[in-house]
This record gives sequence, structure tokens and C-alpha cells, in this order.
Amino acid sequence: MLWTNFLMNVSTASNTAVDYFPIGIQLIFAVGFVATMIGVSALIGPKRQTSDKLQSFESGIESVGNARQPMAIKYFLVAILFVLFDVEVIFFYPYAINFRDLGWNGFFAVLMFVSLFLAGFIYIIKKGALKWED
Amino acid sequence: MNAIIVSAVFGVLMMFASFLVNNKNVYRYLAIIGLSVLLLANILETYAIWSIKFDSFLQLSFERFGLFFNSIAIAATLFYVLLSGKDIVRVGNYSAEYFVLIFFILCGVSLITSYNSLLMLFLGIEIISIPLYILTGSDKKNLKSNEAALKYFLMGAFSTGLMLMGIALSYGAVGNFGLEGRGVVAFGGSMRVSFLEVAGLLLLFISMSFKASAAPFHFWTPDVYEGAPSVFTSFMATIVKATVFIGMIKLLEARTGIFGPTWQIILPLMIVLTLAIGNITAVFQQSVKRMLAYSSIAQAGFMLFALWSANDMGREGILLYSVAYTLATVGIFAVLVKMKDYTFDGFNGLAAKQPLVAASVAVFVLSLAGIPLTAGFFAKYFMLASAIKSGAGVWLLVVAVVFAAVSVYYYFRLIQAMYFKEGEAEMFEQPTNSFKGMLAIFAVLLIVLGIAPSLLFNYLYF
Repeated sequence: MLWTNFLMNVSTASNTAVDYFPIGIQLIFAVGFVATMIGVSALIGPKRQTSDKLQSFESGIESVGNARQPMAIKYFLVAILFVLFDVEVIFFYPYAINFRDLGWNGFFAVLMFVSLFLAGFIYIIKKGALKWED
Repeated sequence: MNAIIVSAVFGVLMMFASFLVNNKNVYRYLAIIGLSVLLLANILETYAIWSIKFDSFLQLSFERFGLFFNSIAIAATLFYVLLSGKDIVRVGNYSAEYFVLIFFILCGVSLITSYNSLLMLFLGIEIISIPLYILTGSDKKNLKSNEAALKYFLMGAFSTGLMLMGIALSYGAVGNFGLEGRGVVAFGGSMRVSFLEVAGLLLLFISMSFKASAAPFHFWTPDVYEGAPSVFTSFMATIVKATVFIGMIKLLEARTGIFGPTWQIILPLMIVLTLAIGNITAVFQQSVKRMLAYSSIAQAGFMLFALWSANDMGREGILLYSVAYTLATVGIFAVLVKMKDYTFDGFNGLAAKQPLVAASVAVFVLSLAGIPLTAGFFAKYFMLASAIKSGAGVWLLVVAVVFAAVSVYYYFRLIQAMYFKEGEAEMFEQPTNSFKGMLAIFAVLLIVLGIAPSLLFNYLYF
């Protein structure tokens, strides 16, 4: 019973360094456990070193060429644009929660934000940033 | 608020113009119209006739000094586009976008002159910096331009990190982002300024001196200024640099005495170091462009005096200094862009071929050196006089004057090359009459302000 009481009372206890003692123990245990397991498996595990193991894994097919090839900038451009519009959508979540409280002022503020984004979107489309074929 | 909103709107309009209009000359005229409207809108706000009002929740505060500096910056940009607009269009394939970025930089400028919270300062500095990174690398096929842009970006991003760290520490001490805040802690029975706040403001100050290229944070300047296309070098060495000083003045005024007595050692040390490094290294340069980069470091040393004196005369002085320095530097760069050879020898014999251009450049150079009857003289005079008013040691002024004398050497080499040496000063194209006319207007403005600097201050107070 004492055990469970100890666990239950954690939240009501005063905020001193002693209260963090269990967390400290847990941290030490976690780090120690991982270190021990990795160490032991490296020590007593079987080792067969072959040249195949040093090759990069490509689903069982023999690896071809070098991974460090020049890539079309288009991929990068699309990735960056994706991040941009992804972040835009994130801003809608806090707005959706505060929709009623912010009223018309908030609506116009968000409208301005979205229209600026839309201006940028029209700009990149017209400039051909999303045109895939050359 | 007018300048912030109108400049952003014109930036977006120019973006649309880039795909709606195909004629490259139209961009230039659009930019000129936009800058004129922007200037008008800002003046209307200065005299409280008409302004767009938003509740900024105490993040921004508009006062006469900042608004007047906005007018100076916008007018200087207008003159700059009138003078070298054709060269801006010619830098690369994205002519309209260069003007877009210039408009966005002006938006950042007007944020920095009116911030009332450290967050807005950060936003302003970033809105200024990011377009500058792009403009630096806008000459895409030139390796030097690419190198300069990458260098500028990496070092600028690092200094931005320092600035954020500083703002965070200051927030930790004060409890809000307000400009006026003051963190106080109990220390051995007495109340002292919080250590966190001092450390934070020091980091903030370091990162802003980086943007203003004051020694010992100037290392990026020569390479970036040399690598960037000359038209954009002239923009970032003048208008942007002056703006950063306005931001620093606002910051240090709001928190005077935060650094305590050590400030009397730190700042004079920085001033002397900046003057020494800028001037002495400029003496050894063979390229006029690189010389101007070092000279811009040296001029930053003089502008630092306004931070030290922190009085009304210093505030007037920094306005006059930005006008004098901007007009002269933009003028010289506009001529430099047209030269085939950027070394001093490239200017040999310019006076015989282009008397009016050479005479204007001579006036610009005299103004930069601070010779009487040009605006540069009164600019330097105001800086030193304001420092005396705040009780600067005489040794500091002697050092400043000695370095001003050193600067005469490398500035006058340009005059010597143009007037007293034989040579074929080759240009890419013959300057048009309107270009010569604009140069002459710049020179006349510098001389008029050199005779009656109060003409400028009248607008600050009336």
C-alpha cells in the first residue's frame, strides 16, 4: 500500500528537488539499460564479416552507381513550397479554436494573411515554379 | 504605419507586374511611381494629415524622428533608382524582382525606425537581411557573387542567432519584449540591473554592429561588398547601414546606462578600432570598389559617435550623416558600375572625356573625406561636436580627426587619377544626359547641405 500511496501523492507534493528523484533514477536506468544491451550484444553476439555487409542495402538488388548525383532543382523547389503552404495551414488551427472570440477583426486579419499567401501562390504559378516538364 | 503598409503593397504589385508586363523599362517606371507614392504617404503621416491606423498593441510607436528618417531613406532610394535604375534592370533575368526586394527592404526600414518591442526589431532586421542575401547573389552566373551571397547568408544567419539569444535573455530578465523594460534584481541588499539583461543587450548590440559592419564584426564586409553586383552594393552600404544605426540609437536610448561605466571603455574602443581598420586597410586597396567597402567601415566608425553621445545633436548628426554619406556613395557607385576597370587606374583621364561626371565624382569624394563646403564636413562636425557635448575625451576626437586625414589620402587618389593622370577611362556605355543631370543634382545637393545643413533639420522640427 505504501508504494501506491507514494505514486499517487506525487502530483500533490511540493515542488522541491527531492520530488525529481524518481525521474532521475528512471533516466539513469534508461541510459544504463540501453548502454548495457548494446554493449552485451556487441560482445557476445556472433560476427561474420563479409564484403557484402559493407554495401548499401537496396532491397536485395546489387547497388548501382553513386548516391551523390546531381538532382534536378525542381524537387527542392517543390519541397520548399510544400513546407511553406504546410506552415500556412498550421496557422489555421489556432484560428479555428479562437474563431468566435476573435470576431470580425480576427477574420480580416486572417483574410489578409491568406490573401498575401495567395498572391505568392499566383506569383509562383505564373513564374512556372510548378512546371514539371522543361 | 503608412510606410510599412504601402511599401509592402507596392512590393506585391511589382511581383505581379513581373509576369503581367514584359517590357523591362516599365518596371523601372513602376518602381519610380511606387517610391514617389510611398514618399508622399510617409510625409502625409509625418504631418498627421492622413495615415492608415491599425492597433499594433504597443508593438510599434511612431514619432517624428523615425518618420523623418523614413522620408530620408525613401527619398534616397528614389534618387538611387532614378540614377541607376537601368543598371538594376540589367543585373540578371529577374528585373522586376530586384525592385520587389528593394520595396520589401524599405518595409523593414520603416519597421526598424518605429519599433517599440524587441520582436519588431527582430522582424525588421530580418526583413532587411533576407532580401539583401538574395540581392547579393543576384548575379547568378558570377562565381564571386555566389560566394559573397553564401558568406553573407551564413554569417548573417549566425548573427541573427546571437540577436535572438540576446532578445531571449532580455525577455528572461524583464518579463516582456518591451523596448523600455528594465529588469532589476536584488543583489547583496541593493537593487541592481539584472545580469541577464546586460548579457542580452550586449548580444543584441553585437549582432546589430555586425549588420552595421562596425569593427570587430566587420569581416564579412569587404568580400560581400566586392562580390555583390555594384548597384546593390551601393544600396546596402548606404540606406541599410544608416537604418541599422537608427535602430541602435533607439535601443540604446531606451535603455541608457544599462552597461554602466564599462560602456565608456567598450564604445570608444569600438570607434577607434573601426576607424583604424577601415581607414588603414582602405589605403592599400587597388580596386575602387574594395576601397569603398573599407571606406564604408570607416564611415560607420564616425556614425558610432552618435551612439556614444546619445543627445539631440547626435540624432541630428546621424540624419545629416546618412544623407551626406548616402548621396555621395550612391553617386560614386553609379559611375563605378559604368566603368570597365574597377581599379584606380581605370579612372585615369576620366576628367578629359567626361568633365561633368568627373566633377560630380570629385564632389562626392570631397564630401566623403569631409572637406568644408560639402555636406560631409558638417556631418563629421556634428558627430564630433555632439560627442564633446556629452563629455568625450579630447584624445578620442584627435584620433577621429587623424583618421579623417588618413582617409583624404585614398579618396584623393581617385581625384588624382581622374584629373592628373593620362589614360583612357573606358566605360561600358556613354552616360546619357539624364544620368549626368542626376549626378549633377546629387553634387549640388551635397554642396547646398554643406553650406546650410539646417535646411535638413528644419524638416525634423517643423
